[in-house]
Amino acid sequence: MTSPASSSEVKYLIESSEGNTFDVSGAALRQSNTFNAMFLNIGADGPIPFTDYNEATLKKVFEYCEHSVNEENYSGPKHQDDLSKWDLNFFNEMDQKMFIDVINASNFLDIERLTSYCCERIARMLRGKNTQEMIKVITLPTAEELEAKQKVEEKKAAAAKKVAEKAAETAEKTETLEELPVQQLVQTTRNKLTRKYLSFSNE
Amino acid sequence: MPPLPLLRLPRLVLGEVFKSLNIGEKIQLSFCSKKVSTQINNARFYSQKVIVVLDCLNEKINVHSENNKETFEITTFWKNHRGGFLSVIRNLLKMFQCKISISNNYNSDLFQPTISMLFDLQVEFKKLTILLTGSKDHNLLWNQISKKLELVDDLKISSVPDPGFRPVFISWPQTINIWRSYWFNLEYVLTCTCSRITLELSNLGNKDLDEILKNWKAGGLPNLKHLRVESQRITNNGMAILGMAPMELREKEIQTDDGSKKATINTGYQIFEMFFQMLIYQSVHVA
Repeated sequence: MTSPASSSEVKYLIESSEGNTFDVSGAALRQSNTFNAMFLNIGADGPIPFTDYNEATLKKVFEYCEHSVNEENYSGPKHQDDLSKWDLNFFNEMDQKMFIDVINASNFLDIERLTSYCCERIARMLRGKNTQEMIKVITLPTAEELEAKQKVEEKKAAAAKKVAEKAAETAEKTETLEELPVQQLVQTTRNKLTRKYLSFSNE
Repeated sequence: MPPLPLLRLPRLVLGEVFKSLNIGEKIQLSFCSKKVSTQINNARFYSQKVIVVLDCLNEKINVHSENNKETFEITTFWKNHRGGFLSVIRNLLKMFQCKISISNNYNSDLFQPTISMLFDLQVEFKKLTILLTGSKDHNLLWNQISKKLELVDDLKISSVPDPGFRPVFISWPQTINIWRSYWFNLEYVLTCTCSRITLELSNLGNKDLDEILKNWKAGGLPNLKHLRVESQRITNNGMAILGMAPMELREKEIQTDDGSKKATINTGYQIFEMFFQMLIYQSVHVA
């Protein structure tokens, strides 16, 4: 199902925290710098595990990526006023929980355009307000909540490391196969078959 | 919409949000809680660069962007006005990449402790104006700052006429402007590494200027870009400067002996005040 992305027609399987998988086009996925760094040149052996995020969040994030595939190249953060009608609808139809989840996923996947629009949207909630008005807009976490946040971040870092290790492992396998010349591969296979034959004969 | 859990956002996202707020909004946000303030401080190196203008006389602090497009004024109302003033400055230093600007506020009792604290913290100054009278307090302050003048872009010194007054420069700012510069003699000029030297009410005469120009021609004063001397001792009938009377030097172009730098000399004569003004504009010669 998954292969190195050389054309936009290539589809990749994404795995969510529920263990569900769904297709995302290579063109959409390439907007993620995290994906580009890990899988772009080597492909992925099986579904790509983004298991820290649920299916709804990942689908929302990649819905954005699919939509912006045909848009002109990203050239730095835009002001909220420059957003298209589609972009505004995309943000407006999310509740706050989904919005936060999308920011977290977009940040992990390093999708610059989406992350930047999300940040601008938050800045807009604070813009032009004084301290008292800002306090009403934001919730200030307790010490326990901050501790929990730190644990989550550590967990995410560990998960990212795991994904990177898997990618490195896949790359190593691919390189090993590519490096062996055809004659050597034929000889290796012949040797294996001979050993198998000999072991049968001995029995 | 329910309140936004701002501090639960990833650090990079928070940094981006802070970056898109203006100076005033960021200061207002920092007052929301200590934790918010800490996060803003953590993102200091990604924040905008600001100029903090300290008005010690009126206990006001003006923070503005480098291009002057954004500005935010802070007035302190602490009972302990000195504590309040210094505390606000310390907070601003944690939040932004700051350069300080202080004009002639030296009559305020806030001036000395503020300057002292800022030099201790190795803060950079865009502009600093100080008064040197040779008093014990002024000498103490000078001893503290004269070692760290490289932190100052533009230093303005106001001093009193005192023949025994000889402040020692252990370091130099980028540019220096001295009012009542009687004490800033030839020796000071020749050791000065500033790119711009402005001496008002100077005691330098034709002989000194001749020395300065000869030194510059021979490759001395390598940083100098602009020298302005206002002195009653520059006279048209005095000693020749580079073999010429000051009036003859007007619009004259000179160059260093190796031909690498050129300068234009301008002289002016102000009849009523009876002093010559000498301006030397230097430009680098491109071969």
